[in-house]
Amino acid sequence: MSLEKRTVVVDRAETLFQTSSRRNFLRVMGMGGALVLLPSVFAACDSDNDTGTGPSGSTTYTLDLSNDTGILNYAYALEQLEAAYYTAAIASAGFAALSANEQEVLADLQKHEVIHREFFKTVLGSSAIPTINFNTTTVGTLTANRTVLLSTSQLLEDTGVSAYNGAGKYLTSAANLLVAGKIVSVEARHAAAIRDIRDTTGRLFAGDDVVNAAGLDVKAEPGTVGAAVNSLNVINGTIAIGTQPDVNKKTADATAPTPT
Amino acid sequence: MDNMPIMDAIDPELVERLAARNTDIQRGGGARPGVVAMLALGSVPIALAALSKDAYGQGVSTTIKNVLDFALALEIFENEFYKAVLGRSNSAAQNAAFAPVRALATAVPGAVNTLDQIQKHEQAHVATLLASGATNVFGLTEASFDFTGNRSATGGGPFAKATTDLAFLLEVAQGAEDTGVRAYKGQAANLMTNSAVLEAALRIHSVEARHASRIRRMRRAAAGAPVSVRYSGTVRGGDATAAGATDLGTNAAAVTAAFNKIYGAGANATTAPSESNTTHAGVNVATLSGAAFGIDAAQEAFDEPLDRADVVAIVQPFFIPTIS
Repeated sequence: MSLEKRTVVVDRAETLFQTSSRRNFLRVMGMGGALVLLPSVFAACDSDNDTGTGPSGSTTYTLDLSNDTGILNYAYALEQLEAAYYTAAIASAGFAALSANEQEVLADLQKHEVIHREFFKTVLGSSAIPTINFNTTTVGTLTANRTVLLSTSQLLEDTGVSAYNGAGKYLTSAANLLVAGKIVSVEARHAAAIRDIRDTTGRLFAGDDVVNAAGLDVKAEPGTVGAAVNSLNVINGTIAIGTQPDVNKKTADATAPTPT
Repeated sequence: MDNMPIMDAIDPELVERLAARNTDIQRGGGARPGVVAMLALGSVPIALAALSKDAYGQGVSTTIKNVLDFALALEIFENEFYKAVLGRSNSAAQNAAFAPVRALATAVPGAVNTLDQIQKHEQAHVATLLASGATNVFGLTEASFDFTGNRSATGGGPFAKATTDLAFLLEVAQGAEDTGVRAYKGQAANLMTNSAVLEAALRIHSVEARHASRIRRMRRAAAGAPVSVRYSGTVRGGDATAAGATDLGTNAAAVTAAFNKIYGAGANATTAPSESNTTHAGVNVATLSGAAFGIDAAQEAFDEPLDRADVVAIVQPFFIPTIS
């Protein structure tokens, strides 16, 4: 696949569900292209398998979001990311530069996210996607100092909140929705704590950049979250969506800005 | 009908014009210029009302309306509480009552800004719920609350110390926020038939959790709260222990009993387990082989729901009228 970057403009998300245009889209996009329009659209070549070998020889982790198992696997993928990141973080140079009170936060987050990861792995059992392979070099870059450690942590936590808030409506089982609800409030507590560490105003914990004028927190569709995760470049491979969730439930995204 | 006071207050032609392209927002096209213009003009309720016509449709089921009505009561309570703390209540008596603790808050960097940010959100939640079809079924006003927890216009309840002691005030605020988190979590399943309302509720739910986290951090940083009040803003333990309260005021038994309800199991411990619960979907997360961190982290990693009756039992002492 060419590394040439191209931009594809699609006027409707549904267009991508047509086989011909979807293949064309993928051919043009490769792994480094840009999609203009709905931020929630990204797709994969192999919708039949959980993993596959992508164009560059790296692994593609494909999610089928048409059912609860797929949505829980989506959460599992995010928890794998957070757990891997914080596990690296608490042994990093950035961590060493934190105060004891700040280290307590990162140490707590590492434990909570590993627990979330192992919880989903256990619940999903044989339906779980594989263990995601993370790039230790790029993860290391994102933990190298206090500034990047805290801004990356904020990004991950806000992304987690937005992902759960956007995915809850796709769950069909009340029990699964409850599990997601039990976790998302913990992610929101994390996000507020990290933001508060970086704050001098007393407002950033639930800042106007994440809570809108209607008092609503961030939310993002799975496609948006997947694209954001891929753009972090911390996975040896790509997260992809094989089957999209119910398009009739889709809503406009309200994502957190990249921390500065 | 009686269920959309904000809508009633708006020129129908204006609403109709604003709602003209109502499929855009449902399909993810973003807010229309009319909504943006209203927000720019500062007319949040009008913008929300117009927005809600698009996002939530014309009507909601009885089940969903009951949840929205209940949520509205909780949000009015929270909003009026913070307004009184900040001296913004329409009740001069409430403003005067909280004047001593307000003065103490101004001496703590960021504290007043935090309370202001939270109050702004609670007020927005009230407007959003009204615009979503909720009704103020209990007829709540600023005069409906006794923040001392005595259901009396003259106060005198076990939480009176919150008006004069900042640490105690923050304990109470933390309890209110955590109650909100548990209340929304417990109602989510009742909203599943309306994905737009469910999503809005989830987005309010996480805001309440952010609030609770910040308050825990303020309490710990003030050096009065124990280590169990985590800087990560998460909840360790169950019952009153989970509050990490070090000052129980002049009626310790009543305050402890209240915190037991806020952080303990509800009447039905299966649907509303204690915050100390570590078993979720049949999996005990305290004994996961790949995550052997002990009981504290396992308790912190998951929050728990409360049923409606449990929430009513917690907040009723602060409401002068009877709620249900």
